[in-house]
This record gives sequence, structure tokens and C-alpha cells, in this order.
Amino acid sequence: MKLSRLTTERLAAVVCDALERRGFTAVLTGGACVMIYAGGKYVSKDLDFVLSPSDRLKAVETALAALGFRAGGRVYVHPELDMAVDVGNRWPVAVGQQILEPPPRRAVSGCYLRMLSATDCVKDRLAAFYYWEDRQALEQAILVCLAQRVSTREVGRWSRAEGRAAGFAEFRRELTRRRSRQV
Amino acid sequence: MTNHSAAGRSALLGPLLGSTLKEWLLLCLLTRGDAYPREMAQELGFALLAVQKQLSALEDGGVVYSRMRGRTRLYSLNLRYPFRRELEALLRRALEALPAAERERFYVPRLRPRKPGKPLVR
Repeated sequence: MKLSRLTTERLAAVVCDALERRGFTAVLTGGACVMIYAGGKYVSKDLDFVLSPSDRLKAVETALAALGFRAGGRVYVHPELDMAVDVGNRWPVAVGQQILEPPPRRAVSGCYLRMLSATDCVKDRLAAFYYWEDRQALEQAILVCLAQRVSTREVGRWSRAEGRAAGFAEFRRELTRRRSRQV
Repeated sequence: MTNHSAAGRSALLGPLLGSTLKEWLLLCLLTRGDAYPREMAQELGFALLAVQKQLSALEDGGVVYSRMRGRTRLYSLNLRYPFRRELEALLRRALEALPAAERERFYVPRLRPRKPGKPLVR
């Protein structure tokens, strides 16, 4: 299989599948989810996986080496790929203070992929906006909302629980403005 | 420890966290919001390398995060850490349990201008 010819979603599924076959629960998070949900309007250079259990580094290395990845610290690189696999994100899967159940696996071209839902992906990006003042993350959250069905009601509930009602209001204003430009 | 300033500080969570320095770094970040490694090393009386090593371990675990301020790395508690509220509650309890004089030392911000490389003296 030529990994460089795969879409981001398929590549993520191949990696996720390889890790889960070794007994890991692997959940794709971060910018790669935005890339998949926003249909390529955002480009990420990393496949960020939250992995459990976290103490079997040798098994991670074996699983990824079988696909041609080489370890460089917690990040694995492939000679034919621009994207790196980062398995350094600690369990649990969480968005801000909300701890999530691992999302269900879904089939992607013969492999299984476990990734944040579109709504949780938006929360994940907004957490970076709220807590790290990362405005690029706000843009990513909006791109996902413009391309996918996202429960903004749930995002609002979560934002208030995080104590970030003002940040959510800014996100809503920007999303409304962008949606009106789309029409 | 490299100087006398660490003397006179109590460690309450050290056995739990596996490191006295880790406890003090977390208390520093809790009380000040953010801090530079060199500043914390000088105030806590530890070698810069030891401070950087502990901060790096905490950052790898998602407990703290850093960003560049000029050419220096500035650290804060990571507000995205899923156990942040519980951690802050534990640190606050530990802070409350310290004698008042020790507690105050964590809160004292360095307000005076300071030349690069000049040691902190209170």
C-alpha cells in the first residue's frame, strides 16, 4: 500500500487500525480531524492520536514501523509523507474539562477509524481558542461548522460549563457572519 | 539545591507527586499565573536544568504548557488539562496548609526591574 497516495482520512484509518490491532484504543484528535471534516480547507501536518494504554511504547513502535514510520521521540515520521504521527497526547480523551468516552470506530475503506465527532472536534478547537488564545483554532472550529452538522447548542452548553460564555458569543458572532457570506 | 532560598519551604504534596520541586513549581504557577524557568529556579533555589527537566515532564503530560515570550519560554498551568480543576483544588489545599509566611512567598511577584543575570535577593 502506497501511503502517500491515501487521503488524510484513509491514512488516519490505516494508522488507527494498525494501533488498535496491537491492543490500543487510538483516537484521532486535533488538526487532522479539522482537515477531514472541513474537506481540505485546512491543512494539518500531524495525525494526533490519544492512545491507551500509554506505557507500551515498544508496541507503538512495532505497529508503526510495519507501516514504514520511524520514531523520532514521541513523533513518528515516514520518508514518503508530509504528515507525522504524534502519539504523545495523554489519555483520557478530553475537550477542556469534559472527559469523553472513546468515540465508536467506523469503517473507512477496509480499516477502522476512531476520531472525535464533528461537535467534539469543534469543542477541541474552541478549547485552544478559549485557553490558549489561539485564533487559528477559532477559524478551524468555524470551518468544521460550515462543512458539517454540528450541535452549536451542545457547544454552547459545554462552553458555559467551561466558564467561557463570552468566548462562545464571539464564536457564534463569527460563525453567523461567515454563514451569511456563504449564502 | 544551589542556594539558601529553598530552605524554609515545606513540601506537602512531594510524596504524592514524586518530587518536591514539582510541587513548588506547580504552586508557583498556580499563584502567579505564569513564570519563566530561570525565575523559578532562582526563587526556589534549584538548578535551572532541574527546573527545566521537571517542567518538560509536566508539559509532556499536558499539565503545564509553554509559549515563547521573546527568546524565553514562559510556562503556565495548562487550562486544557482535563484534571485541572481537581489539581488546582489540591494545590490550593496544600497552599492553605502552609504556614502564612511560607504561603506568602509563593505569592510575592517580582515587581522590581532586574538586570539579566542578576540574582534575586529579597
